[in-house]
Amino acid sequence: MRRPVWERIVFPGAVAAVMLFALAPFLWVILSGFLPEVAILTVPPEWLKYGVILDNYRYIVTGEVPRAYQVGGVLRRMISEEVRAVPRAALNSTLVALGTLLLNWILGAPAAYAYARMRFAGRVATFYFITASRLIPAAALAIPYYLIIKQLGLLDHHLALILIHTALTLPFTVLILVLYFRTIPAEIEESAQLDGATRPMILRRIVLPLALPSLVGTGLFAFMLSYSEFLFSMLVLGSPQTRTLPVTLASVSTNPDVTWTLLSAGTTLAVLPALLLVWPIWRYMVRGLVTGAV
Amino acid sequence: MARALELRPGRIRPAGRRTDTAMAYALAGGALAVVALFTIYPVGYALVGSLYTLSPILPRSFAGLSNYGLIFGSPYFGFALRTTAVLALATVPAVVLLGLLVAVLLSRPFRGATLVKVVILLPWTIPAATGGVMWKGVFADAWGALNATLYELGLVHNYVAWLTTPRLAILATTIAQVWAQFPLAAVLLLAAMQAIPGELYEAAALDGAGGLRAFAAVTLPHIQPMLVVVTLFEILVALTAFDLIFALTGGGPGTATTVLSYFIWAESFKMLSFGTGLALAAIIAGLSFVLIAALMRLMPREALVGEGR
Repeated sequence: MRRPVWERIVFPGAVAAVMLFALAPFLWVILSGFLPEVAILTVPPEWLKYGVILDNYRYIVTGEVPRAYQVGGVLRRMISEEVRAVPRAALNSTLVALGTLLLNWILGAPAAYAYARMRFAGRVATFYFITASRLIPAAALAIPYYLIIKQLGLLDHHLALILIHTALTLPFTVLILVLYFRTIPAEIEESAQLDGATRPMILRRIVLPLALPSLVGTGLFAFMLSYSEFLFSMLVLGSPQTRTLPVTLASVSTNPDVTWTLLSAGTTLAVLPALLLVWPIWRYMVRGLVTGAV
Repeated sequence: MARALELRPGRIRPAGRRTDTAMAYALAGGALAVVALFTIYPVGYALVGSLYTLSPILPRSFAGLSNYGLIFGSPYFGFALRTTAVLALATVPAVVLLGLLVAVLLSRPFRGATLVKVVILLPWTIPAATGGVMWKGVFADAWGALNATLYELGLVHNYVAWLTTPRLAILATTIAQVWAQFPLAAVLLLAAMQAIPGELYEAAALDGAGGLRAFAAVTLPHIQPMLVVVTLFEILVALTAFDLIFALTGGGPGTATTVLSYFIWAESFKMLSFGTGLALAAIIAGLSFVLIAALMRLMPREALVGEGR
């Protein structure tokens, strides 16, 4: 088969360019996490002249100050403890994201079942209400959210963030689950109903096991959104111990005492879960969307 | 995706017995309660609160429309509005076009296609604030990877002040924003392309239409609903962008990248004038609704509902 020029050169070139665009910031961050600061500050830079070091990671984990800071001269000698909050923040983010994922399943699956299979007064109106609720710009909600959380006495509690993130992700979860539940043949449920099974029993024993892929997909989506959310996290979490990853990183990155190489090590640790989760996200969620399984 | 708009319930048990309604609300009640708590009350609060002088450090008093007057009279509102418009006009077309290009590239099977798809998804999976930090490493004036690379290649002889020159800071913000948004656009458009029956392309090929002509005649009309959805979504994202800009430029230099959301943030939590912040939020929400409603009016109805599959 004759292969035209564009197939041999243009097409692979374009794919490579897009991949480079997507990956470049990641590669730079991962590389600079292993460099001493002096390697990036000279003009022209000599990134690899000083070798690859683990000092930045050692500092984050153990608090041992990198050697580069103990030398005088052009090097910066101040260092901030703040970057050491990154592992803790990653843990906080994971806990909040897991809570959001669970609450999405607990609240979203029954609701989706009701909208997919049952007929009741106010059905269409409440469904539109849920799906349209996401059209309100988040920044417009910041102050009221802050005040609600304050009135609930939940300021600086992770539960507050779990509730907010659930409110932000539930519409999508319900929508996707409704679409998926409706692809399950109704006959199975009808015969179960004839045998006297109640709705909750049908949901638990029949629908949920069959809808597992879509549950995994929506769960991962909720997890990722919660893990990434910044604005509301910054609002409701004040103390360094409760802060989540996006908040801590944004704060560390504007701290003049944290060097780029150190920040890079922290950022690498921070994006690690995303790097690990991107495959299952693709497998269970995006591929389903792309192949039209939904 | 067009089916999302169709609400007929599946079969099982014809029409409304009363127990069904009670059971349905028992099942859906939790989700409804959470969404309502974080929708109805905040929106109502924002609308009412915008009419008051509200601040944690001042007594509350009725202010009428003076918060709105204050905003429209402030030169910063004009700056922020302009910056937001510039960023939206730059990012939305770029995201949609790049997304479309990537979707076209990935729509044909080739070796390693799955790996490429997963890699391209990466920017979308990380927090936008983290993305801002990462791009700061690329654009930083003194030690950024971009300056270093350009210098090594001999393309510049002095480091470029990407983040401290207003116009360049806007460019940097646009690039970072496009990076963060194009994966989702690409995936959604790819999904729409894969749903097009292969016979249509075969028929087009029989008629002698290949490549670009098949794209114009078959692909574009079929992905039009998704293009509309993606464009509307990206407009919303552009109008409310915050995290990435906050981490990348902090709104600077000066007010060069201060967008409306950042203005709300500064007004509310730096100036502690909640009432003004709420009025600003109401203005932005109104603006988004007007823009989106206008766009939806401009689109032919079929583009929104789709032809079904």
